[in-house]
Parts: sequence; C-alpha cells; structure tokens
Amino acid sequence: MRRLPVYLLLDTSGSMKGDPIESLKNGLKVMVSSLRQDPFALETVWLSIITFDTQVKQIIPLTDLETFVVPEFNIPSSGATHLGKALEELCHAINRDIIHTTTEQKGDWKPLLLIITDGSPSDIGIFREMTPIIQNNIFSNIVACAAGSKAKTSYLKELTQNVYSLDTMDSNTFSSFFKWVSASVASENMGQGSVELPPPPPEIQATVI
Amino acid sequence: MAIIKLISVINNAMIEFEDTIIGAGAMKDVYFSPDKTYVVQFIRSHINETTIDRLMTIVKVYHPRIFNQIGGEYWNKLYCFPYDIVVHEGKLGLVAPAYQKHFFFEYGSKNNDFMNIKGKEKDGKWFASANLRSKFLDDREKGNWQSYFRICILISRAVKRLHAAGLAHSDLSYKNVLIDPSGGNAAVIDIDTLVVPGKFPPEVLGTPDFIAPEVLKTRTYAYNDTKRKTPCIETDRHALAVMIYSYLLYRHPLRGGKIHDLDSAKDEEMSMGENALFIEHPTDASNRPNLNDIKQTFLPWADVNKIPYNVAGPYLKNLFDKAFIDGLHNPSSRPTAEEWEIALVKTIDLMQPCQNYSCEQKYFVFDNKTKPICPFCGTQYRGTLPIINLYSKKHNKAYGADDHRLTVYNNQALYKWHIFKNIFPNEKLNEADKKRVGYFVFYNQKWYLVNENMPTLKDITENKLIPIKSHVELVNNKQILFDDSDNGRLAAIQIINN
Repeated sequence: MRRLPVYLLLDTSGSMKGDPIESLKNGLKVMVSSLRQDPFALETVWLSIITFDTQVKQIIPLTDLETFVVPEFNIPSSGATHLGKALEELCHAINRDIIHTTTEQKGDWKPLLLIITDGSPSDIGIFREMTPIIQNNIFSNIVACAAGSKAKTSYLKELTQNVYSLDTMDSNTFSSFFKWVSASVASENMGQGSVELPPPPPEIQATVI
Repeated sequence: MAIIKLISVINNAMIEFEDTIIGAGAMKDVYFSPDKTYVVQFIRSHINETTIDRLMTIVKVYHPRIFNQIGGEYWNKLYCFPYDIVVHEGKLGLVAPAYQKHFFFEYGSKNNDFMNIKGKEKDGKWFASANLRSKFLDDREKGNWQSYFRICILISRAVKRLHAAGLAHSDLSYKNVLIDPSGGNAAVIDIDTLVVPGKFPPEVLGTPDFIAPEVLKTRTYAYNDTKRKTPCIETDRHALAVMIYSYLLYRHPLRGGKIHDLDSAKDEEMSMGENALFIEHPTDASNRPNLNDIKQTFLPWADVNKIPYNVAGPYLKNLFDKAFIDGLHNPSSRPTAEEWEIALVKTIDLMQPCQNYSCEQKYFVFDNKTKPICPFCGTQYRGTLPIINLYSKKHNKAYGADDHRLTVYNNQALYKWHIFKNIFPNEKLNEADKKRVGYFVFYNQKWYLVNENMPTLKDITENKLIPIKSHVELVNNKQILFDDSDNGRLAAIQIINN
C-alpha cells in the first residue's frame, strides 16, 4: 500500500508563544480528526512534524494517521527563525523516510509539504540555497501559510505559488485553514490532481503570484 | 439561521433552505430544507450554457421519464435524483431528496466510535477495504456477506435503469453510491454528472479506482482527438464491475504487485490505464498482490490464493472474467448492468448460511462440490444438504436445465421467481408475486418442502399431487413439478450427505 507522506514545518519561534501556538495545536487536532474520518486518507496519509526556531528538530517522525498524536511544543522566549535550516532537515528526513518504488516494491506517493510561519527566515542564505533543491520535483505540492500580521509572504513566494495569509492566529482561523488543508490532502490522495479542490474558506486570502 | 425562500424554475414550487452549508463537495455547496426532507445543491463555479442545458434536461426530461411511469416510485429509494432547480444570487441550485437516515453511521467505528465517524455518511470505501473493516468498523455496521449481494443487486438495477434511459452516470464511485450494509440498502447519488451520449459530453473523468482504462490511457489526448475516450455507458460498466468486485472481495481487482514505472504517479496511471491487468488473471500472474508488501490487516482478503474470486460462485466468476479479462481493454465485451443483476440474484439462491456461528461473513456460496466448505472460516458443512436443480419447458416441450440451482437451508423461502421461468425478481415485480409460495424445513432429520401457495404442486416420482398446506419430503433423485402451466418449473433434487 502506497503511503502519502505529509511534512509539516512549523514555526516555534518566540513570537508563537501563548495563544498562537495553542491555536495552531488546536488546528492540527482538527486536521487530524477530519483526516481520520476520511477512509482514503486513513489508509494512506502519514504525518511528520519538523519545528524550527533557533533549533530545528523533527519532533514527530513520519507516523501513520491512526497513531499520530499532536505533540506539545516547547517555545523559546526569544531567538531566530531558522526556516532555511528546517528545509535542510526536511531533506534529510525525506532521505531517511521515503520508500522508493523499486522493481520489487511499490513506493510512496510524492510527499506534500506544509509550512506555517508567523515571521520571516533569519537564515536567508541557507533558505535561498535550499529553495531550488526543495522545488526540484520532491513534492507533489507545497503549501505555505503566513500566519498573523507580522508574517512575510515574500520569502514564501520564492518557494511556492501556494501561499496563504491568515490575518489572525486564533483557533477558528487555524481550524478552518486546517480543514481546507485536510480536504486538499484527501483529494491529493484520490489521484494525481484530477480532482478539483474545494475553495479555501473565506477567512483565508490566497496570494497567487 | 435564516431561511431563504425561492420559487423554483421547473415546477414553480416553493423551495426553502437554511443558509448554513451542511456539506461541500468538489463542485457544490449543499443546504438543508427546514424540514430536512430535501437539499439544495448550489454549483459553486460559473457554469456554461451547455451545463445549464444538461442539468435542465436531467431534471425536466429524464426525472419524469424514470419516475412518472408505473412503478416509478420504486426508484425513490435507489436514487437521489434532482427534481427541481432554483437560482439564487446568480448560482444554480439543484433540488434533490435528502439522503435517507440509514446512509449515516449509527455506531461508526469500534471501541465506542474512537474514529468519531458516527453520524457521518457511510462512504463505501469503509466497507470495501479489508484493512478498514478489520481495524476500524464497528461489527454492527458491517452486515454479512449476503448484505453485499443485495447492495450490489440494487446498484446494478439503478445503473441498468439509467442505461436503459440512454444515460451514463459517468462517475460511479464509493462517494457517489451510498451503501448501508447493515440494512441492505444502496442509492446512486450525484446524478448531476449524468451524460447523455451524443448530446451532452461528460464534464468529469471519474474517480480514481473506477475510471476505465481507456479513459486514463487517452486523457492527455487533445480534446478534439477522436481517439480520446470519455465516460459513457461502457465506462460505467467498468466502474460497476470494479465496485461489485470490491464490495464482495474487499480488494481492488487491478491493484496488484506489478511495477510499471519507478515513478509512483506514472505507475498508478499505467496500472489503472494502459497496462491494467486483473490481479487474478488465469494465465498472466504478474500482477498478483505481493504478500510481502501487504499489512496483516489486509489479510486474508488480499491473498487471492486463499480467497479467489470464484468464491462468488460460477455466475459471477463468468462475469468477472468478461469484465476484467475479455473486456478490460475491450469495452464492448463488458457485462451490462442487467447481466450483473441477474447473476447476483441467481447467486443468492446458491448461498448457504455458514454453520459456524462466529463466522464473520455468515454466508457462503455453494461451490457445486460434494463437500461444501465455507471459504472464509474453513468450516465444513455437516449433515444433509438438498440441492434443487431447476428445469423448464424448452421449445420442444421437454424440460431442459435452466442453469439455476437452489441450495436449501432451514426455513428458506420459495418464491414465484423460482417456480416460474417468466417471473424475475426486479423492480417490475408486483406485490402479489413478492409473497412466499412455500418454504423448506428440516424436521426429525428430514427435509420437507411445505406448500403454501402452489395449486398444482406435484411429486412426479410418486405421481401424486401435493395440496396446499401439505408437504413433500426431499429425497435424492426426486422430481417435483412446481406448476403444470407452460412457464412452470420442474425441480430435480440432489442430496449431499456429509
């Protein structure tokens, strides 16, 4: 059975402390529970979480939907937003995790990538070094989400056309965003983009270049 | 919550709906009427003249053509067919009956619904995957193996009617056919994708798993290329065959172990399209499921040696061969929906309850062997088993075999469609013909047929009439004439003893 790996790169820098990270966690829970209600997703979707602040860490290795538990996040009180390094770690994770198709065995679907940040990368050099690598046919789709008023979309747009802005970081906004993400994951899962996506919920502004 | 009231376009009727979305599909937002008996489905995107024309035709021409005939109400439970149209804020809305209650999970998943699916629609995928069934579904939702035969009969009948009206559904899939295994119900929904061959072209390719190989193979061809194949009645027949196979065997007929390309997406496209190959192909074993690559929870169903497709009986095996061997790449050879309906109905007569009370499937199909064994739990049938072979008058007035057998179990009913060759249990059957005419009973170690409503029932071997309210013992080689009219059938009895 082919797996559909979904990587979540989540900003855990100081500005996420308090309400924003709680809302994000809540949104993740909404996503996981709605994916679990989809029998196609339940059989194929695997999730992994990589967090980035000054440190970068794959805090949840690639895990099937059934056993996946939304973790607690440790947020430092201040520090950098190393999105570039997170992309580096992502490449390592992909090399470790992904099962490739061989003449003997069916491998994984191309993974999906979802990035959520409320700022901009502190390590722009590495970020720009990693961008072409990430874009090189590794993912079937990359979705980036700029959350909150301080989030900059310009860097994210260098990475993907699918950049969404969330004006606020409250629970409802994250929930409806993740509901949309799970609908996208579910339809990705059904085939190779032949199925049309539902539109994003009205609170989300799609920023298309 | 506000209630919006509109006058409909087709029937000039008052249509009301609550302004809260209850569901969103790829193309539509769905709203409930205040009394929850119907829904209004607004098409989200801009639609062109052809689509409007097509939807109007479905509602105005085809709905009455199917529903306004004698016996038309039969179809109410088999379709959610849009019957009116409204326009609101520039959007077109289809008015259709709401889904019946039994199409929503009553118990959901195991362990007090740990997946939180109670109240959600019973997406067919839950029931068609051995893995999802064994790991998640509450046993009370699953029904037994016979329930899936009934569901497949209803689906075949619904598709047959569309095809008879010259329509193709074009997107038969788990999502577009609701099923209720615990109650034995099914309904075809999302009728708005209907294709009228030659008049309205299809707007969707279908849903992965169900798209016909020729459609996938040619999907990148130019739109005006005559070799480009799009959904039609013949592709519906492929989808129907896949659906029946999946509901009876809890696996996909084409998803095997063969690797066609090292790129997953290309491999998928080839394995469902150009290079599609039946996993149980008798002479080409290259697409057999790779059991090293399959999780325990998919077993035993993923193992085609343990549970081969012939467990579904001879009539269905024959049609699966036509669908997945002869007709896989040759659309005109695919079985019609009516052939499926007839074969499924006949197979029900070959079913035996498994003698193992804890057998999960509860029923199996008699394999025409002298030592019947339940293929699912391995329990061998113990005791005597009467088999009724049916014969009817052929052109030369002699009784010829009908290729139709009835395996008997205690308290099994005998119906008119068993005793007359010209009566078939389908939507046209009238109420009087639905009544039982007799039943079989096992009493004091003997099998009897009790006559309830067969005025001319006759034991041919003993040359003796069996009046209503009396009975006849079933013994090996006995011949019984059910009815002495030209359409009446004759039964030749065999008894298996184990």
